[in-house]
Order: sequence, then structure tokens, then C-alpha cells
Amino acid sequence: MALLIEKDFGTPASVSGEVIHLEIDGQNIQVPGGTSVMRAAELAGIDIPKLCATDTLEAFGSCRLCLVEIGGRRGTPASCTTPVEGGMVVVTGSEKLHKLRKTVMELYLSDTDNDPALVSLAQDLGVDDMPYDGCPQTSGKDETNPYFTFDPGACIVCSRCVRACDEVQGTFALTIEGRGAASKVAASMAEGFFDSECVSCGACVEACPTNALVENTVLDKGEPDRTVLTTCAYCGVGCSFKAELKGDELIRMVPLKDGKANHGHACVKGRFAYTYANHEDRITKPMIRGTTDEPWREVSWDTALNYAAERLKSTQKKHGVKSIGGITSSRCTNEEVWVVIKLIRAGFGNNNVDTCARVCHSPTGYGLMQAFGESAGTQNFDSVMDADVIMVIGANPTDAHPVFGSQMKRRLRQGAKLIVADPRAIDLVNTPRFKADYHLPLTPGTNVALINAMTHVIVTEGLIDEGFVQARCDKKSLASWLDFIKDPINAPDVMAEITGVSADDIRASARLFAEGGNGAIYYGLGVTEHSQGSTMVMAMANLAMITGNIGRAGVGVNPLRGQNNVQGSCDMGSFPHQFSGYRSVTDDATRSLFEDTWQRQLDPVPGLKIPGMFNEAVAGTYKGMYIQGEDVAQSDPNTHHVEAALRNLDILIVQDLFLTETARFAHVFLPGTSFLEKDGTFINAERRIGRVRPVRSSPTGKDEWQVTQDLGRAMGYDMGHESASEIWDEIAGLTPTFANVSFAELDKRGSIQWPFNDDHPDGTEIMHVDSFTRGKGNFVLTEYIPTTERTNRRYPLILTTGRILSQYNVGAQTRRTHNSQWAGEDFLEIHPSDADTYALQDGAWASIKSRKGETSLRVKISKRMAPGVVYTTFHHPESGANIVTTENSDWATECPEYKITAVNVRPTNHKSDWQKNLVVASQKSRRITEPAA
Amino acid sequence: MNHEPKDKILSICADYGNQPDTLIEILHDVQVELGFLSTEALIQIADALNISRADIHGVVSFYDDFRREPTQGPTVKICRAEACQAVGGEDLAKHAKETAHTNIHDVYCLGNCALGPAVLIGDDLYGRVTPERLDALLKTKAAP
Amino acid sequence: MSARAIYVPCDAAALSVGADDVAAAIEQEAAKRDVQIKIIRNGSRGMLWLEPLVEVETDTGRTAYGPVAPEDVAELFDAGFLNGGTHDLSHGLTEDIPYFAKQERLTFVRCGITDPLSLEDYQTHGGLAGLRKTLTLSPEAIVETVTQSGLRGRGGAGFPTGIKWKTALEIDASQKYICANADEGDSGTFADRMLMEGDPFVLLEGMVIAGLAVGASIGYIYIRSEYPHAIKTMGRAVQIWQAANLLAGSGQTFEIIIRRGAGAYICGEETSMLESIEGKRGQIKVKPPLPAIEGLFGKPTIINNVLTLASVPIILDKGAGYYRDFGQGRSRGTQAFQLGGDIKRGGLVEKAFGVSLRELVEGFGGGSRSGKHIRTVQAGGPLGAYIPPHEFDVEMDYEKLADIDAMLGHGGLVVFNEDVNMAKQARFAMKFCEVESCGKCTPCRIGAVRGKETLDKIIAGENVAANLALLDEICELMTDGSLCAMGGLTPMPVQSAIKHFGEDFKG
Ligand SMILES: Nc1nc2c(c(=O)[nH]1)N[C@H]1C(S)=C(S)[C@@H](COP(=O)(O)OP(=O)(O)OC[C@H]3O[C@@H](n4cnc5c(=O)[nH]c(N)nc54)[C@H](O)[C@@H]3O)O[C@H]1N2
Ligand SMILES: Nc1nc2c(c(=O)[nH]1)N[C@H]1C(S)=C(S)[C@@H](COP(=O)(O)OP(=O)(O)OC[C@H]3O[C@@H](n4cnc5c(=O)[nH]c(N)nc54)[C@H](O)[C@@H]3O)O[C@H]1N2
Ligand SMILES: Cc1cc2nc3c(=O)[nH]c(=O)nc-3n(C[C@H](O)[C@H](O)[C@H](O)COP(=O)(O)O)c2cc1C
Ligand code: SF4
Ligand code: SF4
Ligand code: SF4
Ligand code: SF4
Ligand code: SF4
Ligand code: FES
Ligand code: FES
Ligand SMILES: [Mo]
Repeated sequence: MALLIEKDFGTPASVSGEVIHLEIDGQNIQVPGGTSVMRAAELAGIDIPKLCATDTLEAFGSCRLCLVEIGGRRGTPASCTTPVEGGMVVVTGSEKLHKLRKTVMELYLSDTDNDPALVSLAQDLGVDDMPYDGCPQTSGKDETNPYFTFDPGACIVCSRCVRACDEVQGTFALTIEGRGAASKVAASMAEGFFDSECVSCGACVEACPTNALVENTVLDKGEPDRTVLTTCAYCGVGCSFKAELKGDELIRMVPLKDGKANHGHACVKGRFAYTYANHEDRITKPMIRGTTDEPWREVSWDTALNYAAERLKSTQKKHGVKSIGGITSSRCTNEEVWVVIKLIRAGFGNNNVDTCARVCHSPTGYGLMQAFGESAGTQNFDSVMDADVIMVIGANPTDAHPVFGSQMKRRLRQGAKLIVADPRAIDLVNTPRFKADYHLPLTPGTNVALINAMTHVIVTEGLIDEGFVQARCDKKSLASWLDFIKDPINAPDVMAEITGVSADDIRASARLFAEGGNGAIYYGLGVTEHSQGSTMVMAMANLAMITGNIGRAGVGVNPLRGQNNVQGSCDMGSFPHQFSGYRSVTDDATRSLFEDTWQRQLDPVPGLKIPGMFNEAVAGTYKGMYIQGEDVAQSDPNTHHVEAALRNLDILIVQDLFLTETARFAHVFLPGTSFLEKDGTFINAERRIGRVRPVRSSPTGKDEWQVTQDLGRAMGYDMGHESASEIWDEIAGLTPTFANVSFAELDKRGSIQWPFNDDHPDGTEIMHVDSFTRGKGNFVLTEYIPTTERTNRRYPLILTTGRILSQYNVGAQTRRTHNSQWAGEDFLEIHPSDADTYALQDGAWASIKSRKGETSLRVKISKRMAPGVVYTTFHHPESGANIVTTENSDWATECPEYKITAVNVRPTNHKSDWQKNLVVASQKSRRITEPAA
Repeated sequence: MNHEPKDKILSICADYGNQPDTLIEILHDVQVELGFLSTEALIQIADALNISRADIHGVVSFYDDFRREPTQGPTVKICRAEACQAVGGEDLAKHAKETAHTNIHDVYCLGNCALGPAVLIGDDLYGRVTPERLDALLKTKAAP
Repeated sequence: MSARAIYVPCDAAALSVGADDVAAAIEQEAAKRDVQIKIIRNGSRGMLWLEPLVEVETDTGRTAYGPVAPEDVAELFDAGFLNGGTHDLSHGLTEDIPYFAKQERLTFVRCGITDPLSLEDYQTHGGLAGLRKTLTLSPEAIVETVTQSGLRGRGGAGFPTGIKWKTALEIDASQKYICANADEGDSGTFADRMLMEGDPFVLLEGMVIAGLAVGASIGYIYIRSEYPHAIKTMGRAVQIWQAANLLAGSGQTFEIIIRRGAGAYICGEETSMLESIEGKRGQIKVKPPLPAIEGLFGKPTIINNVLTLASVPIILDKGAGYYRDFGQGRSRGTQAFQLGGDIKRGGLVEKAFGVSLRELVEGFGGGSRSGKHIRTVQAGGPLGAYIPPHEFDVEMDYEKLADIDAMLGHGGLVVFNEDVNMAKQARFAMKFCEVESCGKCTPCRIGAVRGKETLDKIIAGENVAANLALLDEICELMTDGSLCAMGGLTPMPVQSAIKHFGEDFKG
């Protein structure tokens, strides 16, 4: 489409129910009370010139361009800051107003350096020549941020950037320095954007009405002229974007104001870090090799696919139908995932399909299904704006779900209470304008103990929402749970010992959560990636149920799911035991439905989970894998074990954008498409289905789903799909929750939250409103059982791992963008007292050794850590975070225990043996021979 | 920076309950303590008060009283406002600038407009200040 | 004979010309002569040209000597000043000095008379009577009394105080605040300072009454940092006041907190002041919401000037009618005029509205200090108009001044003699705005700079007519387009100078 310019109404919408009648320029207008005169005029199609006002920010009133005349009032009030009143008569244009506006523009021009936006607005407002000698501000440009430039010469000091950073992003990295005529924009303490507190979200750039803050791509390539609407392909927030192009070239990504998950906001990854798609490392040609010692050979699609098919078939012939399988990518579209599942179930003829949810939120799926009957979060993101007490457990939203983190911060600034249960002092604990009411720095692995103690307090102090539990929950399970939880073994004083959180804080947080109004739980991997991950999910469900915090806005149990399409890949049925919509493969009725559509007999026996695949590969019974967009050799736990498994495969097919760590062990490389080239859908953490639309054609010549389908064809299974839209129709036809969803419907509505079917004709923002999906809410007993991974004299510290804002998971994408300027390596974060004990210096190297492996990282001393706990991230392959992690896992879902590894640390001056070998192995395994001419 | 000023700064902040609304009071007190507002001091205050570095920079740079560079001797504020202008204040200011005392600042009214030209040295107000009287005062009261 | 009471002011203006040294000299001299004296540090009577003004308590009343220098002290003893003896410096009974006698002191009724920090003195001289009455009244009745008195804000805008209070009273809120605006930034003004140093309890009493009226239990006093003495005195006064627990038994509480400014004129503007009290940049906030509805920390807040609040106790004590009977037209009660600049008898004159400018400047003030011809008086601070001699008969009230395109502001009157160059004064107004505005809105932030530069060109004789026209355009935008009165009023001194002293703008 042509460049989509979303209308700017100047000031935010008012939610008042009162209706005000007024007259503007002779038109009779009705608007809600609290609306500004400016917005009222804009709604009626009357444009009032403005520079400092924009409808994403509160009215400010600084530019004075929007002055109007109001009958019966003295002077010329600013329309952006004047609320409507009944019977008001407004004139937006008059001789006097024109003159004032013209003078404002003359002053701006006298103070800036030919900014195109200002010059053209000035012309529109009748400025023909400049009465003043120009005296542009002379201080230099700030080019420290790799993505955008600040040019004070074009700055009109309207504070839109400052306000965007405050109100939208909530980072407070900008200010106006000085006062009066000397006022100017400064980042932090005039440190330059890069060194400042700025997190490069770009909200300020977006807010800037001139070219004072502008994307470097616009400076380099010029203004875009057309728009494609799409969805971010990084995290589970699922921000909607306008991809803005000039001709065929992508100029910038602009978050969509109308985007229901992001409301016009974005983070550094979605807005700026899309350039990996053009990185020189990107592979666009299919490649094969006989053994992993050989260099890669670029070949035609047919050659590659036939080669892959032959090797898969011969493996099956030799080792049995179940000796092969695959992993779907939560980075890919539902349609792409669907065909991989279909290929495995119908083409391979087994259920050996799994996805990265295994290592992420599989306990969420299991736990919420047990408690509520649905494997998904209960709320939409906007629900947080109604929460009164927010409990964040083992999630770090300002880094991992930044746009939602900003929304949550907005609510917290409005006064909602905050409880953070995290061994680390994450940003939310202490951030400009608010502090957590309680930070519970529990010992990693003791979540269940903590939550049991909290629920114990609520039960024994009579803070249960009796009305809710009686009406909504299963009585029998409730009764036995009550007996269990009242037991003094769950008392705060007992659990204080185990969790390291004081009994007083446990009690106080419990009371606050039970009595503080709408209580909402947000959680992440600090919950799931544990041996008791599933138990903890159910324990939180119990907490929500006994406090009546389910089924309306402002409450709920909310997993902050990770990948852009992890919800979707799960919903599609990327599980060895489940079809789409979480229906068991053992269920004959469901299976026959699929068999009818897929025209194949399907295996009624659940297949292998990822850990099972690796174990059997090591054992020699599992021999072939097709891995779509997941770098298990870096991201799965206990790398030595993963490597051994991969090395044992007869055929490994990797479908990816880059030659990943996993591809070191592969025989076939099928180049994928980036989200800029995809047509399809993603489902975000709030069950929102959004469209991904191609902004350019696939550089590989094929869509990803086509590649999978062609592989099936080569194996003798022809799916016959013709488009993503048509694949979706098959999904919708086979999955009741999606029954009424189609591309056409999505194009019409923008996005849809499932279930969307005859029972839910407008989709579902909030689940379990009147009853739970499973009927009555189910209480599961959640006894605390400590992990077997224990610290001792040899391994005295607990290593926990996670992520940071600017890098994404294995970093395959973000490392290939300027984001690496913020985080060029993974560090070992350690509390000063531990650093002292183990003689570690800030910035020096440390060896980290667990029972599984050893690696070396640079030390960062930080008071965010609790003593006894160290932290690192897994974004760089050579860091080897997963060399040290173990194969311990959740009892129910086998989700790895990434969050606890007992380690010892000591100073070192060299890398570990594994790290040294990796460098050599990587180079060798990535060789590509030139194709014969 | 060694530990003492830091403890002092944190204790000043604590005296004000680490409340962000007391920032200006804290800045005054810390400035008295250190003679100026160092970058480290500002970062410590920002941390204690839960405000951003940008917040504190915006505030410090908005108000004339705050100094980011070390100074010597008490601050000398010379009134440049109208009532003092009417009785020779501008000549006094010119004279003062020529004597090149490092810590001389313009101020607009000291509330001594019937007895101008007015000068404030530290916390002491002077009226009817002639260039000669200023020289004498600077020598005795404001020697760095 | 009990010790002779000798009053030596501790007001900053008096100190600025040596009051401490004089007090010390008297102490010393008395010791030397072995006479019993008791020095009381009072506030200033406001006759600043006489400072340090030493008063001796005699049988006939307090006798005035001034201005006293330390070297005069021995002579004064010799002249028998302890018994009211005459000397070149004596002025007879203080209360008979015409400058003082001709005033109508309501707000400053005790200032200079009492020991500012003696609560006992305060009560002996009528203090707390207003508060006691107030405690018998309903909030509505208090507000009604203030409304009926006709009291208008003394901070400059002259907004009816009762109406402001009514707005806050009618809002239901968990917390409300009273803020005393003691930023007194206008050049040529010092009345707030004098009052805070001379009779601090009256401000506190006024704040408590305001609190009782609107339902506020916390009060802030925002005092500019340029007033270290006032900050000190108010600080001690607050301690004494709180310790006296005057609301005990009433079921009400009122806590008072002092906040210092940090050198920014704009923080006298109320929204800017609130930001500053919240520890932020003193940037202007848009209205609505009115502070009375959504002010400090988002709660209903009454902001009143020091003098406004200090006028409230006497209104409550003596009744609305008593106060209302002073003044004329819509300007009721008295106004503290402050005479500064080149004036012979500079100081504070509290007079009912309606006194003429001429009476103030020539009558009370006695003409210029320099003896030179008076060319203009700037009324109402740096944003006020320059009034030419032919308008000196204007009656000083809000409306009459507005009629001649001038304003009262905070009552400061700055006298300039014939040496003044009005184009330079106009330039100064723009320059002042350039450095002292908050910088938020365009007309003021950039307009002031362009205005200053344009005046530079005019002064240099460059295209005078065209530049005057351009200046006019800037002034029009500043007046009509500025967000607050800082930019909105800066053209007033500029345009008054051009209008009345066009000869200075010919290049
Ligand atoms: N920038 C960025 N964003 C991302 C990603 C990324 O790599 N980079 N990855 C995406 C993916 S796939 C996912 S799954 C999400 C993950 O998002 P989050 O769930 O927020 O991820 P983590 O940072 O791994 O872990 C969250 C917190 O758990 C805490 N924690 C560790 N152990 C425990 C414990 O025993 N108890 C409790 N209560 N807390 C504990 C850690 O200190 C950490 O602060 O983020 C997604 N978004
Ligand atoms: N130690 C430790 N390890 C962890 C975690 C932890 O907290 N600690 N977190 C775990 C979690 S929650 C997760 S989700 C995993 C994530 O681990 P992974 O899924 O392995 O990591 P990603 O970086 O998300 O991307 C995987 C691959 O997808 C490719 N890719 C991206 N887009 C596309 C596409 O459109 N098509 C194709 N074909 N490929 C694409 C990328 O190039 C990359 O190679 O890591 C897990 N590993
Ligand atoms: C630029 C500017 C400076 C001001 N300075 C002061 C001041 O120093 N003291 C003051 O009381 N009011 C000052 N005001 C007026 C206040 O905004 C406000 O109107 C006043 O404090 C209200 O109190 P009142 O109604 O008792 O006058 C100023 C206004 C402006 C626009
Ligand atoms: S990019 Fe985001 S964080 Fe950085 S200054 Fe702009 S708004 Fe603030
Ligand atoms: S950088 Fe842009 S948004 Fe920020 S103040 Fe300048 S013009 Fe306004
Ligand atoms: S918050 Fe997540 S979805 Fe949104 S832009 Fe950032 S990475 Fe993309
Ligand atoms: S969100 Fe992350 S862990 Fe969860 S399924 Fe997706 S990739 Fe895997
Ligand atoms: S008029 Fe001046 S002081 Fe007032 S808001 Fe505008 S810039 Fe600030
Ligand atoms: S748009 Fe209203 S003042 Fe700028
Ligand atoms: S004008 Fe100088 S002290 Fe007031
Ligand atoms: Mo994840």
C-alpha cells in the first residue's frame, strides 16, 4: 500500500462516558468529556497546525501553533491543552491566528537549520521570507547511537522525545538541560545517547516532529513511500509494525499505533535490529555434504531436497519408521510450522515432533491445562492497566518483553503495587519513579516453597475469596488442597529457611496480593525452567484461584511466552503427544479427523520429546532429524550431550538463515526466509494472531513452507498447498479454537485473540470469564521438592542463566546487527562479596565449572546479584553457557533446568578447551566450496 | 572518590527519607558538603532517590544555584536587577567581573532594593555596595 | 530600674547595612558604661533608608535613631539616647515619623514592633486571635469571610482569594495542600522577606487558617534561596510554632514544611513552584487542571502569596467588613508598596488601595536619592510597565493601573532618574526573559532572544522602523501566545518604554 500515515489526533482519546456538544468552525460536534479542543476538531476533520502535540503523549502546550479563539474567552488558548466544554464555540482560523502562527514558524526557522518538516509547515502557514538572520544552534550532532542521529540544529525543544521516553518507554533517559533560551535536549547527564540510560527503543525518534531525531536509514536513503503491515519476529509480545519502504528497499520499521499488543511502541530489536536479514552471512542457496568433515556444496533445490529425502528414507529403512523426526521453529509462521508437523506425522509416519517450547514454556502448557483446562495465558496485555497488585515471578519484562514491560511500568507509575520474586534485582525492582513494594530474592529453585508459604498465609489468615472458590472451583480438589496447604510444613517460618526470604516479607506480600484489589501474576522462565516448573505453574494457578483473581481484566496467570510464535507453534501441535488445539494423538476421533484431511494413517503413539531424541541419538536408535529454525547446539542444555547426539545422526537437515552451531553437524542446509519475506501468521503471548506480510520476495526462490512441502513430495508425500492462506484454512478447519479465523478476517480486524469461533465471535481477550475451559478450576497439590542439583564445597555457587535486552536467544540474528555494540559478549555477573571471596576482578576472566562442563567468561561485578548466585546469558556461541548447564528437567514436561547449575568459579587467563576447539571446528564446518562452473 | 563523601551523600539523602521531592534540598546540602556537585555525587543521589541520571541533570542544570565545577570561597551574588541598576548596580557588576573573582554570579534581586546596589556573599547580605566596599568585602569575606 | 529595651532589627536589609555591628557596639558600650540594657532584635519597620534603625523603649514610647553606624554609638550614649535624648540621628517617636504614621498597617501590623520569634510577643500584639475565631467556624464560613473581605492575591495576578479557596474546598480528596509562595522574585520587592523576617508567625497563622478552610493538613513554604535570612527565621518560627501545638484539642493538624528555591525566577509562577517543590525542573505546567483541583503531587493545592496568607488572620479576627472598608473599587484592603531604586526614602509603605503613585514616590519616598530628576517608575517587577511622570497621579489599584497598560504586580516600585536609557531597559526585559524563562514555550524561549537581538539593532540604529515593527510582532506573539505570564508580560516593560520614551529608540 501507499505510505500509511496513521492520523494523529493530537491528544490521547478520553475515556469519559459524558458527551459534550460544541461548535468548531461552524460544525456541531459531539465528543466525550475530557477531549481536547484539538482532538475534537481533528475528529471532525478540521486540522489544526501542531508541533508539540501528538496523540501518543499527554498534551504539553509548548509550541503554541495550535492556538484558537473561543467565544466568550479572552486571548487565544492552545487547543491541545484546552478541554472541550458544552456549548463552546471555537474558531480555528482567523487573521489574528494566522499571524500568530506565522510568527511562531518564523521564530522556529530562525532557530533551526533548514529542517524540511519545519520549512514546509512554515510555507503552509504563510511564511515567505525570514525576517531574522538565521542563527542555528551550533552544537554538534550526536551520532553515538548506531541507529539514529540527534541533530540539535533541527530541534525545536518541544520535549516530545523527552515525554516519549518518560510516558511511553518509561526509561527517563532524556531531559531538557538548562532553561530559558539555553534549553536543549540531553541524554542522561549530557552523555550522548549511546552512553546514556537510553535503551534505544526509538520512541523518541518516532515522536520527534522534525529531523532532529531520525533513523540513520532515512538520512542515508531518504524518506519511505510505501507501507507493508507486519508483525515483529522476535519476542512473544508480537508488536505490529509498518514496514516502510522506498520502492523495494526497506527504510525503517515503525510500530503501528493501531497495533493491539504494542499501541505504537517497539523495542530496539523490532524497530532497529532487522538488518540481519541482509547480513552477508545469510545463506540463500541450498547446500549439501556427505559428511560433516566435508565442505558444503551449493546445489539446486531439487538436488538438495532429493538428497535429503533419500537419506531420510534410507535411514528409516535401516533403523525403522521412528528413527527420524524433527523440530519445528517457534520463529516461523504457523503455516510453516504446520507443514513441518504434517510432514513428520503424515510423511515420516511418526509423532517425533517437538519445538523450543520444550525448553521454555512447556510447563506452562501442562500446568495451566491441569488447572484451568487451557494451555495459554489468561489475559490480554492491556489487562495490566487494570491490575492493582502485580506479582512478577521469574520474569524480566523490561529486557525480555520490553514493550509490555513499558506498559507494566506505566501502570506501576500510576500506583499499582509490585511484588518481584527473583533472585536478581531486575530493573523493575528499582527503576525511575517507582520501586517494588517487595522484592523477594529467593534462592533459585525454591519458587514452590515460596508460593506455598504465601498461599498458606492466605488460607490460614482467612483471606480466601470464598465466593469465587465456591462458585468456580472444584470442591473436592479444593478440600484436599486446603488440607495440604494448611500443614505447618508450608508455614512462612519454615519456608523462610528454604527460600531465603524473610517470613515477614512472605506474609506481607501474601496479604498485599490477597487484599490489594486486582492481583495479576506475570511469570517467565524463572518459573518454568526448573525441575518443579510445572508444579510452580499450578501453584500460581492455585494462588490466583483462592484470591479470586481469574476471569476479568486486571488479574490472571500470565506467562510471558518467549518467541514470536511459540504460542502458535504449540497451538499448531508441535508436540509428540498432541495435535493442534492440544488434542491428544491417542484420541481416535481427533486422529481420524486429521487422517481424513491428510490422507494418511497416523501413528496413535506419542513420539519423542527433544530430550528423548537426543538420548536415543546418543544411544544410536534415533538417526535422522529435520530442524527448522532452532539452534539446539547452542540453546539446549548440556552441550556436550547435544553435540554427541547430533554427531551420531545419519542425516541432519537444518533449515535456517545462517550456518548455526547446529549446522556444524548437518548434512543438508535448507535456506529459510526471514520474516521480511514471509506470508503468514504469528501468535503472541496473549493468544493474538497477527499477520506477517512479505515486504520483498524470498532470496532463496522459495517460501519456507514450500521447501518443507517439496521435501515431503520428494519423500512421496504431496501436501499440495498453494499458499499460506490456504494452509491456514486447513488449520482453521481442523482446530476448533481457530474455526472462524482466515486471512481475510485478519486483514479486516488487524489481529484476533483466539478462541475465535461461533462461541467467541469477537475473539477472546480474557479467558475463563464465567467458567473455566475445563469447567471447574482444579487445585493440584504442589509439594515442594528440592532439585537434585545442589551446591557443595566443590560447586559452591548457583549459576542461573537468562537474557538481556539487546541480544536475542542464540544471537544468530541480533549478533548480526548493531545491537552487539551494547552487548558484544556474555558476562558472568557476580555479587561483590562473592567476587571478593573468589578473587575475581571486574572485567577479568573467570572459569566457570559445573559437573557437566567448563567455560570462561568475563566478570561483571554487580549488586543486582544475590550473594551465592551468579548469572550469565547464552547469546554468544563461544560463551558456552550451556556447556555448564545440566540435563535436569521438569518432572512433567522435561523442560530443562537452565536456571540452576551448581558451579565453581575462579580466575583464569585462558579460554576452556571446549571454547578453543569451537573456534577451529566452526571454521572447518562452515567451509563452502565454490560450485563447479 | 573515596568512601567518605559517598556515605555523607547517602546519609543526606536518607535524612530526607530518600524522597525524590526533596531533591533540591538534597542538592543544596550536598553542595555545601562538597563545594560543588560532582558527577559521582549526582549519580549516587539519583540512585538513592530512584530517579534517572537525566532527571537529575535536568534539575541541576535548570537552577542557577548549582555548580558542577569545584569552586573556591563563598559564592558572591551581585544583583543585576532594575532597582540596583537604578543606583549603579551595573557599574558594580562590571567592576566585580574585572576583579576576576572566580565565584561571582549574577542574580536578579536580593530583596534589598531600597538599599542597592546589593550583594550576597555566602549567606550575608550587603547593601549600598560601592566598588570600594565590594573590594574590601571580597578581601575579608570571600577570599578563596 | 529594669534594663532598658533597645531594638535593633535583624531584618536582612538592616543587617546589610550593619545592624549586627551596631547591636554589638551598643552592647559593648553599655558594658563599658555599666548600664543595664536589653537588646531585642526586632523586624524592620520598613523605613529602610533609616536602617539600621535603633529604637529605645522610653516612657513615652519607642524613640527612633537612624541610620546608626557603630561609630555613632558612643555619641548616642552621650546624648542620653537611653532616655530618648536628642541627637542628629534621632527622629522622635517611631510611630510619629510621618512615613510610618501615614500608613495603614494591617498585614504588617506587628512587623518591626515585636521580636519575630517570640510567640508571646506575637499574642500580646494580637496574634492568634484570627486562628481562635477560625476554629469556631465551619470551612464554608471561613471561605465566605475571606471572599467577603475582597482579598485578592498579592502575588501579582490579583485573583480573588476566597474563590480560589472555594474551588479547593469543594473537591473531595484524601490530601490537600497549602503552599505559601515566598519566591518573591520580582525585582524591587521585598515585602515577603520583611514579613517573614519580621513577623513569621502571621504567615503560619494564615496558612493554618487556609488549611482549616479547605481541609488541608500540610503546608509548604517555598522560599527563594536568595533569602537565607528569611529561610533561617522561618525555619525557627516553624519549630516554635509546631512545638506550641496550637491546634491541640481541635481535632485538626497542620504540618508545615519549608522548601528552598535554587535560583530560578520562574519558580515564583505557581505551577513551576509546585514542580520545584516536587524536586523537578521548574517548568510551567498547563492549566487546566487548576492547582486548586490538581496541584502538588496531583492533589488540590492552594497557592497563595505570603502577603495574601498573612492578611488572612486579621480578616478573620476583625471581620471581612473591617478589611473591606480599606481600598476602593474592586481593590480592597491594603497593599504593601515597596519603594526602591533611586529613591530617597526607600522602604515599605502599607496603604489602602487608591493612594497615588506620586504620593508614594514623592510624598513617602521624597523623590530621588541622587537628587536627579525622576524619569520613570517601573511598577510591578521586571514584567511591569515603565510609568512616565505624566501618569504619576494614577491611583494605585488593579483596575486603574490596567487602564494605563500597567500593573501592580507584587507592589514593587522602582525609581529611575534621568540617566536611564529606556531602550537598554527594554533590552534588559528581553534579556531577563531569555535567561529566566523556563524555556518551555516558543514565543518566550525564542521570542525573547529575537526580541533582544532586534532591540540591539534598534539601539545600533539599524533599520529602526522595520525592526520596531518586527519587535511589535514578537511582542504580540509573546503576549497572546505565551503559555504563562512570564512570556506574556515581558512585552509590557518593552512596549511601555517604546510608547512613553520613543526618543530613546531612534538608534
Ligand atoms: N531481549 C530478549 N528478549 C527475549 C529473549 C531474548 O533472548 N532476548 N528471549 C525470548 C524468549 S525465548 C523467552 S522464553 C523469554 C524469556 O523471558 P524471561 O522469562 O523474562 O527470561 P529470563 O531472563 O530467562 O528469566 C527471567 C528471570 O528469572 C529469574 N530466575 C532465575 N531463577 C529463578 C528462580 O528460581 N525463581 C524465580 N522466581 N526467578 C528465577 C532470573 O533472574 C531472571 O530475571 O524472553 C523472550 N524475549
Ligand atoms: N542457558 C540457557 N539456555 C537457554 C535458555 C536460557 O534461559 N538459558 N532459554 C531457552 C529458551 S526459553 C529458548 S526459547 C531457547 C531458544 O533457542 P533457539 O530457538 O535455538 O534460539 P533463537 O535465537 O530463537 O533462534 C533459533 C534459530 O532460528 C533461526 N531463525 C530465525 N528466524 C528464522 C526463520 O524465519 N526461519 C528459519 N528457518 N530460521 C529462523 C535463527 O537464525 C536461529 O538460528 O533457548 C533456550 N536456551
Ligand atoms: C513569571 C511569574 C513569576 C511569579 N512570581 C511570583 C512570586 O515570586 N511570588 C508570588 O507570590 N507570586 C508569583 N507569581 C504569581 C503566582 O503564579 C501565583 O499567581 C500566586 O502565587 C498566587 O498567589 P496569590 O493569589 O496569593 O497572589 C508569579 C507569576 C509569574 C507568571
Ligand atoms: S530511544 Fe527510547 S530509551 Fe532511548 S532516549 Fe529514545 S525513548 Fe528513551
Ligand atoms: S529532538 Fe525532536 S522531539 Fe526532541 S525536543 Fe527536539 S524537536 Fe522535539
Ligand atoms: S517487544 Fe518483542 S515483539 Fe515488540 S518489537 Fe521488541 S522484540 Fe519485537
Ligand atoms: S518461546 Fe522459546 S522456549 Fe518457548 S517454544 Fe519458543 S523458542 Fe522454545
Ligand atoms: S512563557 Fe516563558 S516562562 Fe512561561 S512557559 Fe513559556 S517559556 Fe516558560
Ligand atoms: S500543539 Fe498545542 S501548543 Fe503545540
Ligand atoms: S533589585 Fe537588587 S536587590 Fe532587588
Ligand atoms: Mo523461550
